[in-house]
Amino acid sequence: MGRYVIKRLIQGVITVWFIATATFWAMHQVPGDPLSNEKAVTPEIRANLEARYGLDQPPLTQYGIYLKNLLRGDFGISFTQQNREVNDIIREHFPVSATLGILAILFAASGGVLWGALTALYRNRLPDVIIMFLVILFISVPSFVIAALTQLLLVKTNDVLGFSILPVAGWGTFTHMIAPALVLGLGTMAYLTRLMRSSMLEVVNTDYVRTAKAKGLPAARIFTKHQLRNAVLPVITVLGPAIAAITTGGFVVELIFAIPGLGRYFVEAVQQLDYTVIMGTTVFYGAFLVFMVIVVDLVYGFIDPRVRVS
Amino acid sequence: MPAATDRKPQPPLLDVRDLHVEFDTYGGVVKAVRGASFSVEAGQTLAIVGESGCGKSVTVQSIMGLIPMPPGRITRGTATLRGEHILGQLEAGGRSIRGDQIGMIFQDPMTSLNPTMTIGDQIAETLIVHRGQTKADATRRAIELLDLARIPEAASRARQYPFEFSGGMLQRAMIATAIACEPDLLIADEPTTALDVTIQAQVLDLMNDLKRETGMAIILITHDLGVVARMADDVVVMYAGQVVEHGKVDNLFYHSAHPYTLGLRAAMPTNTRVEQGVADRLQPIDGSPPDLFAPPRGCGYCARCPYAVEVCLDRPPPVTTLEPGHEARCWLHDERAPAAARDRAPLFYAAEPTA
Amino acid sequence: MAEITLDQDPGARPLGQSAFEPIHTQQQAQGLSRPSLSYWQDAWIRLKANRRAIISLWIVVALLAFTLIGPLLWRIDPAAQDVDQVSQSPFASRDALLVAPLEPWDLRALALAPPVTDLTLAEPATTQSVRLHWAQLPGVTGYRIYRNIFPADPDRALGLPLGEYLTPDRVTFEDRLDLKTQTYYYTVIGVTPQGLDRSRLQSLEVTPVRAITRAEAQRKGLLAEGDDVPLGTTLKLKRHPLGTDYLGRDMLARLMEGARVSLFIGICAPLLFVAFGVLYGAIAGFAGGVTDQIMMRVADFVVALPFLLFMILFKIAFGIGPGESGIMPMLIALVLLSWPATARLVRGQILQIREEGYISAAQLLGARTNYLVLRHMIPNTMGVILVTLTFAVPSAIFTEAFLSFIGMGVAPPTPSWGSMSNEGIKTMLSHPHELIFPALFISVTVLAFNLLGDGLRDALDARMRSRE
Repeated sequence: MGRYVIKRLIQGVITVWFIATATFWAMHQVPGDPLSNEKAVTPEIRANLEARYGLDQPPLTQYGIYLKNLLRGDFGISFTQQNREVNDIIREHFPVSATLGILAILFAASGGVLWGALTALYRNRLPDVIIMFLVILFISVPSFVIAALTQLLLVKTNDVLGFSILPVAGWGTFTHMIAPALVLGLGTMAYLTRLMRSSMLEVVNTDYVRTAKAKGLPAARIFTKHQLRNAVLPVITVLGPAIAAITTGGFVVELIFAIPGLGRYFVEAVQQLDYTVIMGTTVFYGAFLVFMVIVVDLVYGFIDPRVRVS
Repeated sequence: MPAATDRKPQPPLLDVRDLHVEFDTYGGVVKAVRGASFSVEAGQTLAIVGESGCGKSVTVQSIMGLIPMPPGRITRGTATLRGEHILGQLEAGGRSIRGDQIGMIFQDPMTSLNPTMTIGDQIAETLIVHRGQTKADATRRAIELLDLARIPEAASRARQYPFEFSGGMLQRAMIATAIACEPDLLIADEPTTALDVTIQAQVLDLMNDLKRETGMAIILITHDLGVVARMADDVVVMYAGQVVEHGKVDNLFYHSAHPYTLGLRAAMPTNTRVEQGVADRLQPIDGSPPDLFAPPRGCGYCARCPYAVEVCLDRPPPVTTLEPGHEARCWLHDERAPAAARDRAPLFYAAEPTA
Repeated sequence: MAEITLDQDPGARPLGQSAFEPIHTQQQAQGLSRPSLSYWQDAWIRLKANRRAIISLWIVVALLAFTLIGPLLWRIDPAAQDVDQVSQSPFASRDALLVAPLEPWDLRALALAPPVTDLTLAEPATTQSVRLHWAQLPGVTGYRIYRNIFPADPDRALGLPLGEYLTPDRVTFEDRLDLKTQTYYYTVIGVTPQGLDRSRLQSLEVTPVRAITRAEAQRKGLLAEGDDVPLGTTLKLKRHPLGTDYLGRDMLARLMEGARVSLFIGICAPLLFVAFGVLYGAIAGFAGGVTDQIMMRVADFVVALPFLLFMILFKIAFGIGPGESGIMPMLIALVLLSWPATARLVRGQILQIREEGYISAAQLLGARTNYLVLRHMIPNTMGVILVTLTFAVPSAIFTEAFLSFIGMGVAPPTPSWGSMSNEGIKTMLSHPHELIFPALFISVTVLAFNLLGDGLRDALDARMRSRE
């Protein structure tokens, strides 16, 4: 087990290095000198940056400097905001995104398992039909549309009720988190519901569930001890991609709900072509997602004995 | 056969009469079982023989209430356990039928155990549910059962997961699970089909030993006549959803009364074939079983039967008792069948057909 | 001879004479009762039985027709602005009143008229001008005039400040600021030395009528040159079946134009990356050994890249020159990042099929590699590839919409459903149709492809086939 973890971590580091390299390469393809673009860069910043990143040096030297900085955990200074370190930006805004993301993934995973199991139990009957209709709907509607419509709905209900049940936008209290987290998790929840349903239907027809029935176990026990645990396994394997989807989905939701998260910051940086922030957040997000995939795999290994032992 | 004397006063352990089972599928209604009748006495082994799709598994699974409904349904027939009706019931005589009074093991031990639960827990579970034992007691008993099933180092094996077991070991663990509550009847649905030949023998021996020790009855489903010869007291031969022949194992082997049984025997490798006057080469049965979406009007075996006569085509054959406890479903045993027709078939006939 | 009663008693009816004549069973042996179907025939029959999949198929056909044939039938320039009808909902009235050109307000006439007691309209309100008149308030030093789109409420914001008078005797106001045919709430508040006197507020609800002058109407082709229609006639403005956007561009035309972008990316990108993935995976699968190892390691790395982040990064890297729409860079980025999933799948399939008994059997019979590939490998992977392709379409459309939504997709003025949604979201509260229509198109397209993919998967799934 320990060796497996170390192996995975080494693989993860290599992957992050690859992501960093690809990021560097991609940003170097940007036409023109990043500093001489129309973005106003004061001479101080310019001089500072040139010295720091060796922008007047050949690309390979720049790459070396870039990697060295990355190893020290230094993502550089923002191009558009004077003297603001990318590290500070991440430190300040990532916790907001993470809070939102954790809430959303909790909501998506618990909802997905619950609804998926429910639809499988009521296969082809009314609850199944209704839930699966909603699932298909939420899979097919882009997250920004759901976010916008939710906001519209909140405005209208708050208007009708005369008081605010949930804030329409902003960040701060827990009530601010509910609507965006639900919206952010909804698409993933729909996807997980579908997966859980088919996994559950597969498990229902397995030989070991038949054995459990032949053993005369009560239905409730068969459901909890034999079906649920086995059906959840495939859901766990896709949690890695699900976390990635929620992370990037967060960009849009943070934008629409005016949440000061890293996602919104990233989108703004992209729109303003703030190179260091783009590179820094990309590498940071990349490393975060690689790490999350490893965590999910380890959790899976903990739950599935077949992986745990080997 | 000790059961023979006390048979009369009390009903047989398990008695199945005229069972009909259908399934709704995309293609229409499959009439999987079309009238199966047999009984099992306490302490006896009944083998149910037949090729794939003949309805043998469906028969026992409907007794156990294991066929999914829908799409399946039992349209006719009864099954009684010590005289009590059990079709569609969970309990008989205040005890659970499944797991408690009837244990069951399946064909593929690799997939028949929950992959995410330890072997010990899966055995203990039955005891916790049916006997109300504590987890600790049940686990202790589970280890004893594994030991009984001749699994070495039972205590540490009980903490392992199915994927750490070999196929033969798993089938023993399955048997240990099935006999945990000391059932009166063990149903084994092709228990050795998925195993190596050497392992097969071990598992069969284990079943025989346990039967002797506990006095339970066994229903053994198989398509292997070798297994039948080794294990069975009584044999039921099924074809296309019907019982075509039913009798003592000796009757079946030495006095085959149905052309299908004869065909099965001819297709079986054995070193006594020559003495029995059966052809020297293995004889496959030509053709394939009838389409159970639309079963033939007459005898199901008619299309493949070398001795078929005109009446077989459109009338279902009657069941004829040749000797006490030996029945066959074939027109050639009908009293109206002329001697000429019978003489062509090397079948066993009762001494003198009576009117 | 005891008989157990089963079924009906077969002995009940008399037997015919020839009942026990032998029959020749070999000819009677049952043939296959159902006709044999090829894989694709069988799949097609299954697909046809799936109502949702067939409806989805028709929706896809309709969408293609909308994109390809639509612009031929609806010949409105998607870039043309109709300034009279900006952010017009599809159900809004298209009436316009023919009026004389606007003349300065003659206030002397008003002075002669009887004094008013409250805020009133001095003339009927049109989109040319709204002329307000109110009673002089005692003890005020001036007035402030506000316009709002919500009813006036002393506790809330009063809306757009239109003007401020510093004398108490100016009691008229003319509003000509960007008037639309919607309900406005005008508020006049007296200004006292202590500040705004919110207790004495005069408010008026006004819905201007759309006005058009003769010259304008002629310029727009609503009136012929010599047409002598009296003033006060109601003319019909140009028709926009799905309304107009915030710049007065026809939504239907823009949706058709946007469909071209969205569907182009949604269909071309999957075709390209699936084709590349198939080729890559097939080569890796066939080559095996070190080549396979290296090729798959490369694919692993590409998979590890966070997809949307790198889509954005690549988009920036490719850059968009002036006048370019940015469709091609997006297409390239999509293909670059999406191929590994298909490659892995196809490689797995090839490796699996290579081990199958029928391949060995064919090889033993002397089949050549070409024959194996054409006869066995391709037909057996086509199903999986087709399903992958179908499911790749909605995700490509989603990606395009997402990128366009955050401004990293196609560059304006080229519309795409995603960028139209982005524009629509800004005016969502007042003109929801600008968001709803593009969002609806995205959703219906994605839904149709998803359901079609489900249907295809079920129809082509060989496992299900054998399970029946």
